[in-house]
Amino acid sequence: MSAGEGGLDVPRAAGVELEGVTKSFGPNLALDGLSLDVPAGEFLVLLGPSGCGKTTVLRLVAGLEEPTRGVVRIGDQVMNGVDPKERDVAMVFQSYALYPHLSVRRNIEFPLRSRHVDARERMRLVAEVSSALQIGSLLDRKPAEISGGQRQRVALARAIVRRPRVFLMDEPLSNLDAQLRVEMRAELVELHQRLGSTILYVTHDQVEAMTMGDRIAIMNHGVLQQVDTPEKVHDRPANAFVAGFIGSPPMNILAGVVEPVTGDTAPARSPTPADRSVGGTDAGALVSVGMPGGSIPLGGPLAEAVLSRGLASVIVGVRPEHVSIDPAGSLAASVTLVESLGHERHVVCRLEAGQLVVARLAAREAVPRTGERVSLSFSAEHLQLFEPDTEARIDV
Amino acid sequence: MSDTRRRRRLGEAALGYVFVLPALAVFGVFVFYPLVKTFVLGFYRTPPFPNLPSHFVGLSQYGSVLTSPAFLDSLWRTVLFVLFTVPLGIALGVALALLAHQRLAGIRIFRTIFSSTVATSVAVASVIFYTLLNPEVGLLSYWLGGRGGAGILQSPTLALPAVSVVTIWQNLGFVFILMSAALQSIPDDLMDAARVDGSSMWYRFWHVTLPLLSPTVFFAVVVGTIGSFQAFGQIDLLTQGGPNNHTDVLIYSLYQQAFVFNNTGVAAVMSVLLFAILLLLTAVQFRFFERRVFYGR
Ligand SMILES: Nc1ncnc2c1ncn2[C@@H]1O[C@H](COP(=O)(O)OP(=O)(O)O)[C@@H](O)[C@H]1O
Ligand SMILES: [Mg+2]
Repeated sequence: MSAGEGGLDVPRAAGVELEGVTKSFGPNLALDGLSLDVPAGEFLVLLGPSGCGKTTVLRLVAGLEEPTRGVVRIGDQVMNGVDPKERDVAMVFQSYALYPHLSVRRNIEFPLRSRHVDARERMRLVAEVSSALQIGSLLDRKPAEISGGQRQRVALARAIVRRPRVFLMDEPLSNLDAQLRVEMRAELVELHQRLGSTILYVTHDQVEAMTMGDRIAIMNHGVLQQVDTPEKVHDRPANAFVAGFIGSPPMNILAGVVEPVTGDTAPARSPTPADRSVGGTDAGALVSVGMPGGSIPLGGPLAEAVLSRGLASVIVGVRPEHVSIDPAGSLAASVTLVESLGHERHVVCRLEAGQLVVARLAAREAVPRTGERVSLSFSAEHLQLFEPDTEARIDV
Repeated sequence: MSDTRRRRRLGEAALGYVFVLPALAVFGVFVFYPLVKTFVLGFYRTPPFPNLPSHFVGLSQYGSVLTSPAFLDSLWRTVLFVLFTVPLGIALGVALALLAHQRLAGIRIFRTIFSSTVATSVAVASVIFYTLLNPEVGLLSYWLGGRGGAGILQSPTLALPAVSVVTIWQNLGFVFILMSAALQSIPDDLMDAARVDGSSMWYRFWHVTLPLLSPTVFFAVVVGTIGSFQAFGQIDLLTQGGPNNHTDVLIYSLYQQAFVFNNTGVAAVMSVLLFAILLLLTAVQFRFFERRVFYGR
């Protein structure tokens, strides 16, 4: 983006706060006690599977829906019962929702005209935003006469043109082809930096979420699972759902049976470096986590936490990059599929009871053939454990 | 090579004509032949007494009808009737469709009620209103100012508006269904976007809803105009063109010429003129209003 940056960077951002927001559509509970605090100027990504209530959050903030219970605030003002046109937010719809009977110019002008902005000011603002988004040559066309990517830019221009306090974007890139999506991702991040505006951005694509968000709010079945920075969400997922949703390929999630290691090993002592390898050696192990195809010994604070909670079983999470194919490993598996992505390979292995475990290997590493029997070991310091009932992370 | 291809194409064309033939035959017998016959009938003056030969008078009968005050009065009343019924009927239909488009509990009951007049015939509508407007026992007459005396249908000033109201009522169900269907086809996202973009309900109606409804409104105007020019049943049943010819619209006086006065020549001329008027009017509507219609992609 080059010219016309004149007045684009006037920050008028406001924070958004949802407090105990519940929304039901008849018997259908779309949001369940959602609390979320988005400070002014933040790029917050709402991430979750389809139908988890992401769009509903945006519609509640926009005022297109009213919460069944709870409070919505924009810039510290309670917005319950306030008409959408008084909220001063802009929304980019997944369908773009361009007015098909109006030219691109009239589409971008629409929010200005409905607020009675005078003609000269309208001209100036449209010129500014259309040059920033490189759609200046399309102003006289109808939405049906431009491409998908161009429509997406027009929808964005219509949102930006009136400097709203908050941007709401509902999967704005999901209708674009892969290459254009990557391009627009970068442009949106750049735009956010320049405008300094608050953005609530909805996506079901975790790569988009990880690359764009200041913070990510992960939702499932109308319940907020975790809100944190991309790094934290990746490295310290709050529960098994988040763990399984984030990462590409996502984390391996396995059920494990806890068996205390009895005998000569001292029950509690400070961990030694030897404890930090799991699956290879059982020196200093406190518990052994049984899984189909073998068991992995576990020592250190994590094992202590498991023991102190008296858990008979746990959910084990391990990222594909922390699974290695290792003759000394303690889990027997067979290779079912090897996917090559050029720079890396994904080896899909099947444990004895049928669960799949994915290992991510660098392209130069030796790769087993399909059908081959292998042993797997998990890197200890990256192992994540979750409670069996609540699926909450077991913290050490 | 090209010869066989040409022969095959000829064969296909022939087959096509064979398929069209039955429809063409039906149209020929029931539409084209009567049309031509009517046109020709207009060239003959019907004798004052039956069984006398009719005279060929050429276009002179067209001239005399076109300049006769009776015809012009009748045409003027028809225009008034169209102006009363078409715009108001469509405006009401759009308004009801907008009301019924709201997401409210029990709205389907209203949708059923609003569309119910499609299930009534002109005769039923006329009988209902004839009773309601009866000066002795009619509820509407009672509400509108006492029993007895002169009825609304007997009033020279109120008879045509009253017949128009019956027509609007009768057509309302159809217009309502038409407009409801058109409203449903407007994506919800568009209306939501307009709300978030800060527009008032009024602004949204004029700048989003109405432009997207325009093809349907245009269709309703064209069809409604033709329908109102041809309205007959309600006039025959309610006023018989009275009082004192004040509801004597074109089609009614045409009917009287043909079947009461047995003046087929004049009736034929009026038919042809009515046809010409409607053809011209529809062409004008397409020419001047269609460009303001948005037909989607
Ligand atoms: N207007 C509505 N009426 C009934 N149910 C709705 C409505 N809008 C959303 N829902 C339901 O609420 C849930 C969340 O929907 P939504 O917010 O659109 O999910 P997402 O955007 O995450 O895919 C879904 O189960 C959906 O069926
Ligand atoms: Mg959605």
